[in-house]
Amino acid sequence: MAITRPNILTDALARKKYADGVNLLKREFTGPTTKNLGISGPSRPVSTYDLFVVWHHTAMTTLTPPTQGDRNAAHRGPVFCPWHRFMLRQLELNLQRVLNDNAFGLPYWDWAADGQKTARQQKKSSIWASDAMGGSGNPVKTGPFKLNSADPKSFRIRIEADVNGNLVQRSHGLRRAIGTTVSTLPTKADTTAVLTFRPYDVAPWDTTSSGFRNGVEGWASPVGPALHNRVHVWVGGDMLPSSSPNDPVFFMNHCNVDRIWEAWLTKYGRNYVPLQSAPTFLKGHRINDLMSSLVSAAMRPADVLDMRSIYVYDSLSV
Amino acid sequence: MPTRSSTVHPTAKSIASYVKKNAKRVKRAQKRRHQSSESVREADYRGHHIVVRTHYEIEVDGRAVMGHMGVSNDGQVHYHPVPNLSFASAVDLVKQLIDIFPDDFGSRAHRRHRMQHRASRRHTHI
Repeated sequence: MAITRPNILTDALARKKYADGVNLLKREFTGPTTKNLGISGPSRPVSTYDLFVVWHHTAMTTLTPPTQGDRNAAHRGPVFCPWHRFMLRQLELNLQRVLNDNAFGLPYWDWAADGQKTARQQKKSSIWASDAMGGSGNPVKTGPFKLNSADPKSFRIRIEADVNGNLVQRSHGLRRAIGTTVSTLPTKADTTAVLTFRPYDVAPWDTTSSGFRNGVEGWASPVGPALHNRVHVWVGGDMLPSSSPNDPVFFMNHCNVDRIWEAWLTKYGRNYVPLQSAPTFLKGHRINDLMSSLVSAAMRPADVLDMRSIYVYDSLSV
Repeated sequence: MPTRSSTVHPTAKSIASYVKKNAKRVKRAQKRRHQSSESVREADYRGHHIVVRTHYEIEVDGRAVMGHMGVSNDGQVHYHPVPNLSFASAVDLVKQLIDIFPDDFGSRAHRRHRMQHRASRRHTHI
């Protein structure tokens, strides 16, 4: 039977379980080390949670194809929606495992609902409360991911991307600068509008395309970052570099993006482009190409177009 | 159609095994550094083939910034280590990098110390 992915703002139990599960994965070490992964500095074990940070960064720095500078193996091209769906599902399976709860569904953050409020109210939304994701700051001082420097098991950023695009070892508390670079979240008008975008994607299959994928990723707006991109930028801090899964809010944002994609698939049919017959310069983005993987066997976009036997959302009203 | 990867729970052993298998790709991604970045844009117009090559070399406080900078066909500049932003100006992009990566640029006092150190070394060598 399919599990249900709930709204994090209305499900206190899901909020608590998510935070507990993230902290358990942050303290779980299955063997991989920084040395195994080519991360400079002393060899240290890498937690299961941090492997997701490494995976995201690696996919993002893999240009597809390497001869161009726009599309990569997870962003700025058609594979954006399926690759993140693959990643979310792997995190969900790992959370279920450490929580010992096979019915656990990853919660989503309906950021466009918060986007209906004033800029000041958005910063005070209940998602930033102590019993949810904690607040803003350098480091974040409230909530389940706050830094307690006296506790070596406290939530810390251990691996992140540096300015040159390399993964480096660090030890600092989670950083957020909510509402600093852009002052407001996307709105319901934005999410409603993106659901009208068709087809899924279209040539030139990059950040200038006019389809749904480029709209929901957030490149289609003439006035700066929109939708998914805008949420990263609005939260700021550790949500900005390619190591953005360092902030557990990353997965709440992407779960909502996945919900919007699911609403689109429900409306227009479970179709995806480019097909496998597309030219090889789209390798990595075609329907049966293997997607970048790290902690499990690889999947293809075709494998994730219909997940209704595995999970459903409590609402597809975006 | 969901596959085994989306239904079977991982184990500590399976995670370690897949990471070992994929580690080569992660290491390869770690080795990409660019002293300079070149972006090639191509388009066809009225039977003509257009190629625009843009070359960037960035320095902050005399130190090279070596991530890859690109230009999309609409002229927006982006920088791979910052995946969610693009800019009309490369200078604005670099200003943003200084805010996003505070650990890589140090505090004002640290920079002043470095500049003084550099100046005193120059003085010694004259």
